[in-house]
Amino acid sequence: MRIATVGIVAILLALAAPAKAKDETPQYKTAEAKHFTTAEGVELTPAFVDYFYAELRSELTKAKLAGEVIGEGEAVDEADAPQSLVITGTITEYKKGSVAKAALIGFGAGLRSLKMDADVTRRSDKQNLCVLHVHVKVDPRWNEQVMAKSAANLMVKEMKKALKEGAKPPA
Amino acid sequence: MAQRSSLHLAATVLLLAGLAGLAGTACSQASADEPKPKPENTISIQIGDPVPPQKFAHPPKFWIADVIDRSGNPQPMLVMKERGGVFLDKQPTAIVREALEQSLKAANLMAADAGSADLVVRVYLFHFGLAAGSGLDFFGKVEFSTIVKNPKTEQSQEVKAAGTSIAKGAVRKKNLQKNVQEDIEAALHDAMRNFLRGTQLKDAVAALWDQAEAAPAKGEASKPPAS
Repeated sequence: MRIATVGIVAILLALAAPAKAKDETPQYKTAEAKHFTTAEGVELTPAFVDYFYAELRSELTKAKLAGEVIGEGEAVDEADAPQSLVITGTITEYKKGSVAKAALIGFGAGLRSLKMDADVTRRSDKQNLCVLHVHVKVDPRWNEQVMAKSAANLMVKEMKKALKEGAKPPA
Repeated sequence: MAQRSSLHLAATVLLLAGLAGLAGTACSQASADEPKPKPENTISIQIGDPVPPQKFAHPPKFWIADVIDRSGNPQPMLVMKERGGVFLDKQPTAIVREALEQSLKAANLMAADAGSADLVVRVYLFHFGLAAGSGLDFFGKVEFSTIVKNPKTEQSQEVKAAGTSIAKGAVRKKNLQKNVQEDIEAALHDAMRNFLRGTQLKDAVAALWDQAEAAPAKGEASKPPAS
């Protein structure tokens, strides 16, 4: 009897999970990510910025934060503008890291590090919805693109969290 | 003494011959590793559903004059060199032209010929295919710049467009080819969308329209008044 009850509960939970996921409608209609700029002294190739842009868009699509993730400079209907996001940002610091330090010392020494700031604004009135500061550290043996991938992933996670908190009515 | 120098010479000749032989073998091996296009490693890129362009205040008729490859890639049809290679069935310039024409025709913005076109578009293709990614996935990228010209006023505007796509990596050759194809198709679709729905094209069309409207007005003003 007990086993049957547990089984029924498990089936009900399994059925309820996809139903909840389907009901989750995106909070915004469109999201536009722009190519991030690099601060003075940041030695990163334009290919890195391109790849990060692509990864950010891919992560935004996966996160279902907006109904549509549009390309840079695409037109948006006037009616959709109040429910549209624009993401701009700057890569403020990049440290190459050191393989020797990472291997000999360890404990986080010699890691490759990337710091970036991003602003999420509403398209219609340019109101700032949230400001994000992301700091990523990866093994120096990994290439820059892996770092871009983890930075994009972290940025979208933080963005989702910040926008959810911002959407809550003040207590 | 003479015997010693001849021995020296013989040794040098033998050494050189050996090195030449080694170099030859390496070259022949390299050429053998060079992937060749075959039906099983060739993919066909299609845009799929045409991209609906934005609404223009004065919808013009476009004509695609040329699509010029400016990528500097000596093998534009070779998308991926590893794992026996992945090739395109057509030149990237032909694929881009087809995609543009398909979308413009679907929106009734394509002129019947160059003579009847309001705006003539010349496309410069900078990148088509895969770009350097993380190694865990495929990074598809299509990037081009266009010169939109009004043939009546000879005025032109530059419009840039780019499309990117990230697709998951694959181990099996069949899946790898499928993922690469989907990735490039998504990047092409994104680039077409970026071009046809971009504010740059909207501004360019508006500016060229304004110049075209101003030109006859100027012409009329310069005409001597009829007596």
